[in-house]
Amino acid sequence: MAKKTKQTPEKTSWLGQNWLLLLTGFLVGAAAIVLNLLGNPGNMGFCIACFERDIAGALGLHSAAPVQYFRPEIVGIVLGSLLMALARKEFRGKGGSAPALRFGLGALVMIGALVFLGCPLRMVIRIGGGDLNAVVGLLGFIAGILMGLVFLKKGFNLGRAYKQSPLEGLAFPGALLLAFLLCVTGLCGLFRSSAAGPGSLRAPWYAAILAGLLVGALAQRSRFCMVGGVRDAVMFREFGLISAFGMVILTVLLGNVILKKFTGFSFAGQPVAHSDGLWNFLGMSVVGWGSVLLGGCPLRQLVLAGEGNSDSAVTVLGMIFGAALSHNFKLASSGDGSTPNGHIAVIGALAILLLVSLVLSFAKGKEGKK
Amino acid sequence: MRRRQASCIVTFHTTADAMETERVCRAAGLAGRLIPAPRDLTADCGIAWCGPAETRPALEAALRAAGVEAAGLREQLY
Repeated sequence: MAKKTKQTPEKTSWLGQNWLLLLTGFLVGAAAIVLNLLGNPGNMGFCIACFERDIAGALGLHSAAPVQYFRPEIVGIVLGSLLMALARKEFRGKGGSAPALRFGLGALVMIGALVFLGCPLRMVIRIGGGDLNAVVGLLGFIAGILMGLVFLKKGFNLGRAYKQSPLEGLAFPGALLLAFLLCVTGLCGLFRSSAAGPGSLRAPWYAAILAGLLVGALAQRSRFCMVGGVRDAVMFREFGLISAFGMVILTVLLGNVILKKFTGFSFAGQPVAHSDGLWNFLGMSVVGWGSVLLGGCPLRQLVLAGEGNSDSAVTVLGMIFGAALSHNFKLASSGDGSTPNGHIAVIGALAILLLVSLVLSFAKGKEGKK
Repeated sequence: MRRRQASCIVTFHTTADAMETERVCRAAGLAGRLIPAPRDLTADCGIAWCGPAETRPALEAALRAAGVEAAGLREQLY
């Protein structure tokens, strides 16, 4: 398995090491601003959780009329990652690492995200838009990641992935592409589409898919991941990844100021957000903890699915299932606040995460090391 | 500006294997530390072990003895 030594410069600057991550952060922030200008909801130029929730609605998996639309951004991210992975000969069909558990963990992550109203990416976009509720969410997200890291250090293990056929790796990106083509060519009138609410607010499909392709390709190349950023900062004192998210916040903040959309930092009156601090904190704790166990944030799961990882594809499907549960059983929050069912679901999700973490950290058998 | 040194970098199939490697190396007195897996080595965002290049034979022996399977192993400046 040994490879030849690769010669690289003996000295390297921090900027020299991390310029691609910073560029990715800048372009993700810029894409979010542009998509918002072109029609996406406020502080929601990009949100993996919200967009997968909209896709769940478009597929008829839930019946919340305001959040139904087959979001091209999601398709773009997966295909952008796929194209970059193919170009760099990094596409690998692989999978087989606890798919059922990953499906369930993906659903829990989505339930937490929809109590907060956003994925980690939207969280930083919301901060850049002046939403202090997202700062509370960030604290919860970090707390959740720290919990997950405790168990990673104790040996938490979902098991390794194994090589699969390229077709297995292409199945999920291919299905997304097919659905997207059916949508844009008008051949499929079966998908639901919101006439009002966040699902009706959308950038033109060609702008959305282009932005997704760009973000997916850059995120594949740079390994852009919010969970990885906090992990690297806490475990290794490496701040490249997390700086990329600082760059997203800075870019979105500057964009909003330049466009005269920034009205200061506040808790109240933020678009598609609520001010229930405790549930913003706990909702994002679920997202952070679950994402650490899964090995990446919701955006990273899309990128890995594009690289041919069918475990991540299953995780994304679990997230879409979680979105359907959230809206069918009134777990998801709205601008009016969180719901009693959402509170129960978050507490239940934390309990399940604890149970899974304990079992897979301490109750490993002989196969546990593998 | 960080000075790079000749290193032996090991990547793994799971994070648990990386943690086990740290434990094994500490017990064997092998120098090194866990690092984010270098991007030029893998597209995965896992954790890798990085030790001085000269520890490679001892490191490989320790991993074999502990039953830890490496996904990749490379000597490079890090």
